[in-house]
Amino acid sequence: MIKVRNIMSRNVITVAPSSSIKDAAVLMATKSVSGLVVVEKNTPVAVISENDIIKGIVSKKIKVRDVMSSEFNVISPLTRFSEITKTLRERKIKKFPVIEDDKLIGLVTETDIVEATRDFTRFHEIVQEAILAIFGLATAFFLFYFSPLRASIFGS
Amino acid sequence: MAKIRKIMLTNVATLNTEAKIGDAAKLLAENDMGCVVVLENKAPVGIVTELDFVRNLNSKNINLKDPIEKIMTSPVTFMTPTMKLDEALKIVDTKKFRKYPVVENQELVGLVTKKDIINFISDNLRLHRNIQNVVLVLFVLFEFFVFVLSSYVYKFLHLGA
Repeated sequence: MIKVRNIMSRNVITVAPSSSIKDAAVLMATKSVSGLVVVEKNTPVAVISENDIIKGIVSKKIKVRDVMSSEFNVISPLTRFSEITKTLRERKIKKFPVIEDDKLIGLVTETDIVEATRDFTRFHEIVQEAILAIFGLATAFFLFYFSPLRASIFGS
Repeated sequence: MAKIRKIMLTNVATLNTEAKIGDAAKLLAENDMGCVVVLENKAPVGIVTELDFVRNLNSKNINLKDPIEKIMTSPVTFMTPTMKLDEALKIVDTKKFRKYPVVENQELVGLVTKKDIINFISDNLRLHRNIQNVVLVLFVLFEFFVFVLSSYVYKFLHLGA
C-alpha cells in the first residue's frame, strides 16, 4: 500500500495571508512549485494556486488573503492513497497539506498523485508479469512431469 | 490500446496571435483548463499556461497590454487524435510539458493533459488486471483438471506415469 509519507513533497513553501500576490508568484517561480500553503500561526488556513494568482492579476487584487482558496484537505501521513485519489476525482480538491503532531510536514499535490499512480501501475505490471512467468514455468514442468516423454527418458 | 481522440478535451480556450497578455489572463481566470492555445489560421503556434504567467510575473514584469507572443511557449509540441496512448506517454516523458494541443489536418481539434493520459492508462490497466486474475484462476482450475485426468489417461494407455 502506498503511504502518504512516501509520495508527499517535504519542502512545503508557505506564505502569509498578508503577503502580496506578487511575492507568492515569485516564490512559486523560484521554488518551482504549483501551489503554496497559506499559513497563519503554523496552521494551514488556505492554499493558493497558479490559477488563483492569475485571477488576482485580472481582478487587480494585491494581497494573498483576497485570492486564496479554502479548497484543501488536511491529511495525516497515515491517510490511505485511495482516499486521496477519490477526493481528487470527486471533489476536485488538488492540494493536501500533511499534518503530523500539529506540524505541517509536507504537501501532496495533484502532480505527486499522478506520479505515484504511475509508479504503482508500473510496479503492478511487473508483479503480474512475474506471477504469469512462474505459472507458465510451473505448467511446463507439470506437463513434462506427467508426460510419457519423461518416462521414456528417466524411466518411470 | 486507446487513442488520444478518446481522452482529449474538445472545448479549448484559444486566442489568435494579435491578442494581448490581458486577454490570456482573463481566459485563464475564467476556465479551469489551465492553458490557452494561440492559433494562427486554426493551427496552434504557441501555448500560454498558468506557469508561464507566474514565471513571467517575476522576471519580466509583464504588462497586460503587451502582445501574447512575449510570454507564450513556441513552438508547441502537439499530438494527433490517432496517436496511441503509450506513444503519447513517451512524448510526455521526453518533453516534460503538462498540456498538449491535439492537431488534425493542421487544425486544432482538442487538448490532452499528462494527467488524463496517466489516469486513463492506469484505469485501463486496473480493468485489465482484474480480467487477467480471473483468467489465471480459471487456468489453474483447468490445469488441475488436466493433470488429474491425464494421469488416469496415461495409466489407461499403459504409457507410464
